[in-house]
Amino acid sequence: MGSTDIDNNYVNGLEYCKEYKRLKILPANDQTKALQTILRDKNTTRSDFKFYADRLIRLVIEESLNQLPFTECNVITPTGATYKGLKYKSGNCGVSIVRSGESMEQGLRDCCRSIRIGKILVESDSETHEAKVVYARFPEDIARRHVLLMYPIMSTGNTVSKAVNVLKEHGVKEDCIILSNLFCTPQAVQTILESYPRMKILTSEVHPVAPNHFGQKYFGRHQ
Amino acid sequence: MAAKITVLDPPSSASSDSDIIEQQDYSDVVFNDVEEHEERSGDFYNTPASPITVPYCPRPPSTGSQKSPRARRQRTTSLNHSTTTQSKTDVMIRTAQRTIYTAGRPPWYNSEGQKVEPFVIGICGGSASGKTTVTEKIIESLGVPWVTLLSMDSFYKILNEKQHEIAEKNEYNFDHPDAFDWELLIITLERLKEGRKVEVPIYNFLTHSRENRTKTMYGANVIIFEGILTFHNPKVVEMLDMKIFVDVDADVRLARRLRRDISQRGRDLEGVLKQYTSMVQPSFNHYIAPLMSHADIIVPRGGENEVAIQLIVQHVHTQLQLRGFKLREELAHAYAMNSGPRPPTVKLLPTTPQIKGLHTFIRNKDTPRDEFIFYSKRLIRLVIEYTLSLMIFNDKIVETPQGVPYQGKTMSTNNICGVSILRAGETMEQAVCDVCKDIRIGKILIQTNLQTGEPELYYLRLPKDIKDYKVILMDATVATGAAAMMAIRVLLDHDVAESNILLVSLLMAESGVHSIAYAFPKIQIVTTAIDPEINDRFYVLPGIGNFGDRYFGTEPGDE
Repeated sequence: MGSTDIDNNYVNGLEYCKEYKRLKILPANDQTKALQTILRDKNTTRSDFKFYADRLIRLVIEESLNQLPFTECNVITPTGATYKGLKYKSGNCGVSIVRSGESMEQGLRDCCRSIRIGKILVESDSETHEAKVVYARFPEDIARRHVLLMYPIMSTGNTVSKAVNVLKEHGVKEDCIILSNLFCTPQAVQTILESYPRMKILTSEVHPVAPNHFGQKYFGRHQ
Repeated sequence: MAAKITVLDPPSSASSDSDIIEQQDYSDVVFNDVEEHEERSGDFYNTPASPITVPYCPRPPSTGSQKSPRARRQRTTSLNHSTTTQSKTDVMIRTAQRTIYTAGRPPWYNSEGQKVEPFVIGICGGSASGKTTVTEKIIESLGVPWVTLLSMDSFYKILNEKQHEIAEKNEYNFDHPDAFDWELLIITLERLKEGRKVEVPIYNFLTHSRENRTKTMYGANVIIFEGILTFHNPKVVEMLDMKIFVDVDADVRLARRLRRDISQRGRDLEGVLKQYTSMVQPSFNHYIAPLMSHADIIVPRGGENEVAIQLIVQHVHTQLQLRGFKLREELAHAYAMNSGPRPPTVKLLPTTPQIKGLHTFIRNKDTPRDEFIFYSKRLIRLVIEYTLSLMIFNDKIVETPQGVPYQGKTMSTNNICGVSILRAGETMEQAVCDVCKDIRIGKILIQTNLQTGEPELYYLRLPKDIKDYKVILMDATVATGAAAMMAIRVLLDHDVAESNILLVSLLMAESGVHSIAYAFPKIQIVTTAIDPEINDRFYVLPGIGNFGDRYFGTEPGDE
């Protein structure tokens, strides 16, 4: 997996942003750090976990929407004055990678009430550990849309790679794909952005240890 | 006036009538009250009816032992001013034909948000001298919308059992300075003078103890402190900006008393005279008359003295103007000082396309309400999240399920509460509840007085111990900052530290930002956009319009 020398510079992953221009990290502040801390803490109760995960998801989704294209647009305010605003272009959609990606669907719905959401199910083969796409369902015209690909935890990047491949097979342009992610490892960033250099990744933290308990704890599947 | 007292103070049985406050009312009230007791004490009529009937020695000897003290006590019962403030409130509303107290509280600070020290007037005089009439007339002529009236009678000491018995036998001297809780009185007056909230005890003259409930008072533009011994304590005297002694000739008072007692009470001349000379007059001479030397103004003939009252009113007016009480306009026009760079306490959310896009929706006058609400909520959520990121955080290392410790952060305090400025600020409450579990929410209702254009405080409900909290103060839009400053002032008056307040809004005007930041340099101001101008109706330009109306759907019909 290439050169993954993890030194101690991963504090908030900003170093990787220099290396990978298309990696965006949620503006780091103590507040997001506190949310991440709660999610990482093994003593966090499940209800707290979900509550704070949803908050972080909302922040990541809002920031992901920031990456979508827009045009300028002037509107008249009730005071009769003109406000120079912006308008988002239509033609976006969300795609969640089942199943942890579904945890982010609500966050997206809360921001865009009627956005179309597609799904991809990727499972790893129990023998070969090879990730395999078993199900994919998208809006018909996905090829013309910008896609917000939702997957909260990325440790190797294999699952996302498969999903991106499926999207590309459906005609989605690489530079129209934005990955919304909560936690990812440097290794995953490298894997994805070297394979798909025109895609964007938006995450809240790049850290060598991925909180792989996320899906279990969020959906309540304890092992 | 006494009548009003009764309304508010059930234990007092004083009569029910009278809108007009006159000396004579005293007698009525006293006697009405007295009559009640009369049934219990046969020799009542020998007791003097005057409030000031006790011999000057603290423990009077036996001369009609039951008599004089009884009168004393009765007087206090009936005339007690314990609730005078409250009753006065009512009185003033009716007599002045203006909404004086029930109206919101107008600004009690200047345009720089600093408290303007209230003007404190002390009124002293024997209780038959007409202090109350003078007070009334001053308040009426002042025409100041907010006056706090503090009466010494609220500060009678709680009597222990023994003292209570003495009082029952009417041998307790309520006129002696020792009968007052000076410590509490001084603290109360000090706080009022600082413009802070105080809880004034309500003294029950039947049980000689304080009632459980207290009367909440605020410092006001003008504070009037009245009582028989207001100039007795040097510390109190020092706090008074103007000292008025109401002086009525002894023979006038005697004449009043004679007329009152004889014609209305059927008492004999001898008795009244005897009582007057043995108790009323000595008491006055010993305690009260010497206080006259502290006075700035001595008002002869009491309330009838129109000239004196006009002079007093003029002086107070001048003083108030000097201290400065016109707010909103001053704020709106204080643009000169807005030219500088924004102070560091102003935290503007990074203007991302996202924020701009949301603004585009909510500013557009043609946006339907459901979209307006939806996009406002998103914007509110963002500004609240951003606000939380301004809190103080500590380092924290946690154990992870992956077995690797994680160096994280945790918020240093859980004591966060939200306070919304009604009505528009209320729209932001939900978002605060969504991001902070079990957060307490307070409310402050401030409305603009349509006549004066000034903000007025109408309603207040804050979490207990709010002083221990970080307070997220919410208002959807801030134009001149007048309402926000009033709300901040309220919080400060409740002992919230300035550095613990975060003012959060969706949209602010440049001038409002500067006024607030200038007035309260330690307050953090969080907003998603700052617009350059304010129009003559105090709307921000280009602005959102009336946020509350659009959100709640209460816009006036199409213009």
